Amino acid sequence: MLEAIDLRKSYGDHAALEGLNLKVKAGDIYCLLGANGAGKTTTINLFLNFIEPTSGTAMVNGIDVTQSPLETKRYLAYIPEQVMLYGNLTGIENLEYFARLGGHAEYSAADYQSFLDRVGLQANAAHLRVRTYSKGMRQKVGVAIALAKQAKALLLDEPTSGLDPKASNEFSALLLQLRNDGAAILMATHDLFRAKETGNRIGIMKSGRLVQELSTDEVSHADVERIYLEHMH
Amino acid sequence: MIRIIARKEFTEIVRDGRFMWTAALMVLLLLTAMLAGWQRHSSYMATQAAAQGATNTQWLKQGDKNPHTAAHYGNYAFKPLGPLAFFDNGVTNYTGTTVFMEAHKQNFAIASPAADTSAIGRFGELNGAMILQVLMPLLVIFLGFTAFAGERESGTIRQVMSMGISRLSLLWGKALGLGSAVLMVVLPCVIIGAVFIAMTDLPMVGEGLATRIALLTVAYLAYAGIFLFLTLAVSAWSRSPRTALMVLVGFWAFTAFIMPKTAAEISKAVYPSPPYGSFMADMKAHRARGFDGTPPWAELGKFQGQMMREYRVSDVKDLPFYWTAVRMQRLEELDQRVFDQHFGAVTAAYAGQRRFQDRLGLLAPTLPLRSISMGLAGTDLIQQQKFQDDAESFREAMVEKMNGYLSRAAVSLNGVSSASNYLVANEDVFAIVPPFRYQPPALATTLAEHWMNFAVLAFWLVAAILLALLGVKGMALERD
Repeated sequence: MLEAIDLRKSYGDHAALEGLNLKVKAGDIYCLLGANGAGKTTTINLFLNFIEPTSGTAMVNGIDVTQSPLETKRYLAYIPEQVMLYGNLTGIENLEYFARLGGHAEYSAADYQSFLDRVGLQANAAHLRVRTYSKGMRQKVGVAIALAKQAKALLLDEPTSGLDPKASNEFSALLLQLRNDGAAILMATHDLFRAKETGNRIGIMKSGRLVQELSTDEVSHADVERIYLEHMH
Repeated sequence: MIRIIARKEFTEIVRDGRFMWTAALMVLLLLTAMLAGWQRHSSYMATQAAAQGATNTQWLKQGDKNPHTAAHYGNYAFKPLGPLAFFDNGVTNYTGTTVFMEAHKQNFAIASPAADTSAIGRFGELNGAMILQVLMPLLVIFLGFTAFAGERESGTIRQVMSMGISRLSLLWGKALGLGSAVLMVVLPCVIIGAVFIAMTDLPMVGEGLATRIALLTVAYLAYAGIFLFLTLAVSAWSRSPRTALMVLVGFWAFTAFIMPKTAAEISKAVYPSPPYGSFMADMKAHRARGFDGTPPWAELGKFQGQMMREYRVSDVKDLPFYWTAVRMQRLEELDQRVFDQHFGAVTAAYAGQRRFQDRLGLLAPTLPLRSISMGLAGTDLIQQQKFQDDAESFREAMVEKMNGYLSRAAVSLNGVSSASNYLVANEDVFAIVPPFRYQPPALATTLAEHWMNFAVLAFWLVAAILLALLGVKGMALERD
């Protein structure tokens, strides 16, 4: 579903990404680990076509994102570290706006409410302005937007950083639901524990390169931490 | 897609605290300005009608006297204004409303309303046009400067762009949403203004009122559109909403405050008007020495010889008309060439200044709009000029009619010595001069005079849209 082929991005002399090859299939949760500046966000931005690759190809559903940037985004949902919503609109209004932008005008008010229920937003919060929301509530609306978009691939950029353990746990449960529905998920994260818990594959990045890939069912929590730290030295 | 974006923009703007107070202030000012304008216009028109009526009666009831003396007694022209003057009183505060029309002398229009007001009134009074020209752009800027820069700062722009919509849809959607919010404030006030005009029983001066209102609406919408797209362009380009606001308010001050004053000064420097102080004295000296160097007495001597040869008489007493009257009319015609040259120089200087200002409109969109607005409201200098020309034509006809009557009716007085050469005329004779009626320029004439301003305004709108398109095309999604 998501595929990077020799993907490169340089800014002048500095190479942010050096020949990334990566595949995320439907039903995968692929966790990208790495220090800040390792190229995780660059990878996500390239899949979103927010930046142009220097060379190589990013494909979504077999389509080159630079060729058809609008079409490929139909399959994608993006959840950043902070899901940014319009403070003066209510949760349900934000969800409706983004769903319509994503080309889904078919939902009823009850549908929107059920999306918000599914992601576990408190029942009375849907009609409050988003200004009053906590970070966890915003992340839930972000997932609801992805649900409403019926996205086949999710790009998550440190979506759980700054969430309390309970909210983080709820978020992971939602990701598993989405994966079971057949979504391909690419998640940049610093949370080794969550990566092992939720992900089925892990990629470790360093200075723009993918230095190692792991399957989480073949390693323990301790292994993940050890391997990660080895690469960081 | 565009409608979805527009609706969300509109909802967001209207829910923002900025909207409530700016909209309330704007509505309050616009309504106050229109009411004040209406009050001012009604009282002006009442005064004008009363004064014109009084002067017409005065002319007829001036008492029995020699017709040429009656021409000296003279008549007044008072300028009427079209109903749209209540919305835009243009230059009428500073131009004369009254021309004294008398024999032997062409006068300037006098009695400007500004000369009649207290010092505080001279800062410029409220009128609807001023509010729309100065404050409407500010409303657009305040509601729109965050359009892109704010979404970039808060990060929502990435969320929006990840949905797979084109930047063009985003631009048009935002333009539509912002435009609707601005219209919601301005349109009701404009409708109230149109209702004012529809209900009035004041005389209609100038034709094509409905077309004028329609064209004014189009021009002001284009003006709002210029600021709307410039605001979106700057918002897309700026690093932060703060920068966008600073750039936009700077441009606003330049076009709405600095340029209108500066343009007038620059155009005056480039096309200097003849000095007012010495104008009358220069003209008088020119009359004394004769239009082309031959003094009037010499010209009149030549004219006398010519008349005597033509009618084959050896004494002016034998001419078949009253010689004194024909001689006075001849003098009037000799003077006329001097008047035409001197007043023509002033007119030419003003026209040059006006054309130059029209070109300066390429730097500031407020200039062409202001000119179009005054032109359509019938309160610009072009129409003031027409009023003065009408008054001058009336003066020439009045003097010619009085002298002409005298030349025919007093032919028996030709041989009488000057002490008693006096024909007394009455009201019936004075009635051959019809009351003064100002004929405002036709709408087509006004439009032809202002084609450059319409073109410049259209240029600005196209340029603003192009800048906005370029702005969103190159817009960064990240804040740096």
